[in-house]
Amino acid sequence: MSLRPKVLVTKIGLDGHDRGSRIVAAHLRDAGMEVVYTPPWQEIAAVVKLAQEEDVDVIGISSLATDHLIVPRLMHALRDAGLAEVGVIVGGIVPDEDERALLDAGVARVFHPGSSLDDIAAFVRDLAARVRSARFPA
Amino acid sequence: MKRDLPRGDDAAAAARLAAIRAGDRGAVARAITAVENGHADAAALLAALEGDLGRAHVVGITGPPGAGKSTLIAALVGECTRRGRRVAVVAVDPSSPLSGGAVLGDRIRMSEVAAAEGVFVRSVASRGHAGGLASATRGIVDLMDAAGFDPVIVETVGAGQSEVAIAALADTSVVVTPPGLGDDVQAIKAGILEIADVLVVSKGDSPLASATVRDLKDMLRLRARRGAWTVPVVLTAATRGEGVAELLDVAARHAEACGRGRRLAGAVQPPGPHDAAARVATLARQDAFLRHCALELLDAGPGRATLAMTVGAEHLNFNGTCHGGAIFALADSAFGLASNSHGPVAAGIEAHVSYHAAARPGDRLVARAEEVSRNARLATYRIDVTRGDVRVASFGGTVYIAARRHAPREAATPAAGARVPGPSS
Repeated sequence: MSLRPKVLVTKIGLDGHDRGSRIVAAHLRDAGMEVVYTPPWQEIAAVVKLAQEEDVDVIGISSLATDHLIVPRLMHALRDAGLAEVGVIVGGIVPDEDERALLDAGVARVFHPGSSLDDIAAFVRDLAARVRSARFPA
Repeated sequence: MKRDLPRGDDAAAAARLAAIRAGDRGAVARAITAVENGHADAAALLAALEGDLGRAHVVGITGPPGAGKSTLIAALVGECTRRGRRVAVVAVDPSSPLSGGAVLGDRIRMSEVAAAEGVFVRSVASRGHAGGLASATRGIVDLMDAAGFDPVIVETVGAGQSEVAIAALADTSVVVTPPGLGDDVQAIKAGILEIADVLVVSKGDSPLASATVRDLKDMLRLRARRGAWTVPVVLTAATRGEGVAELLDVAARHAEACGRGRRLAGAVQPPGPHDAAARVATLARQDAFLRHCALELLDAGPGRATLAMTVGAEHLNFNGTCHGGAIFALADSAFGLASNSHGPVAAGIEAHVSYHAAARPGDRLVARAEEVSRNARLATYRIDVTRGDVRVASFGGTVYIAARRHAPREAATPAAGARVPGPSS
């Protein structure tokens, strides 16, 4: 079975700046991944429901205006829904002092401004492969 | 029928089936992933759920890109929720032909309604060819049916071949046309009128909408009626919620008139493999063009046929390679035999070919036709033409299935026909 990572690219909270998430979504597509894309302003409960229905391997949260601060709540909600194994990455503007808190909450990695799109794609592909093999043992 | 799940824990398998039947969100989602990716246990899982199928009304929604399918479906889902129905949506988006990746954006217009508890939305990438799309989507629809969702709505990418393939999955096919396409309406009308059970003119707040409704009704008047059902034309303005309840009611009336679970009728495998092989052998013997082109029948069965030819001097074009028409004739003949293998007379209504490599004098070309999807009215086939390990051409085609069967004399050719004649016969 060939692995085609399935990734959710979304934004939670009140920030509507979605240019970054669109660029990342398009690049992941061009890297051969299947990307579920949503508009900004998603509620955490809606993201969890969507991730479960779409059975995604990785969730990418774009945050440009402090929405990363509610990502730990998303991690909690994912665990409560039995989706603890789904990989979560955050990209955008995250102050260094907040990054530790996100990683402690279970975020796999934070990508800062200036990150290379190819690096993001490579990381997501690896993360998806790990998640997939944990969920569907051969 | 094989109903046992292969190896592994029986209790776990039973629990998994029970969770799917109970509509457990996670269990349904993971089963869909298994079907989508062709996991080893997917076929057994679907077989075990066969007895649970046919309760859902499956509505296929198709139409050209930008017609407003997603917006209409969001409105339909909202209306179903208001009526207390548990509704599932399969939204198909195209895969990139270059990278194989996809951006699945159908949920963009559904975010509000998709959050409701009784709604299940799954995005699917078309992954290249219509065949893969159709076979995976059929399994996904079956899972949603077994999980108790009703209706199940299937949204397709708006492109010719897939429209027809998806129509074969639905009990009710709804074709969405935006207003003001003008000559484009004329161009697509043949295909649309063949598959549509309900026609929708979207964007009903546009000034051109009523003229488009009139055009479509005019076209429908010129068409022979199929049974008792008259194809209605519904005007919708989904963003305002207009016409949405009416569309849902019309679709329900179609299900009452034509039978819920109609999609399953095509999945029934009536004759055994020997009947099909015998029928194909008989048809091949009666085919003058097959003889004229010296095409040899190598193998046949229900929904499949394999033909071969050797490229000779008479097949060459001015470049000294095998003429594309000869390759087409080979593929088309395999297509014709495979589609007529079940018994009912099947007539080709569409075919296309891609040529990948040249064939030269002395090459032996083999065309293998396989059935991709089939319902009571339409079936699609994929034919690969190869020379050894090299793929020379890919051919795809759709047939319309007539009510009449091949004459009994032909179909019932006895025992001798049970063996497919080899290249020498």
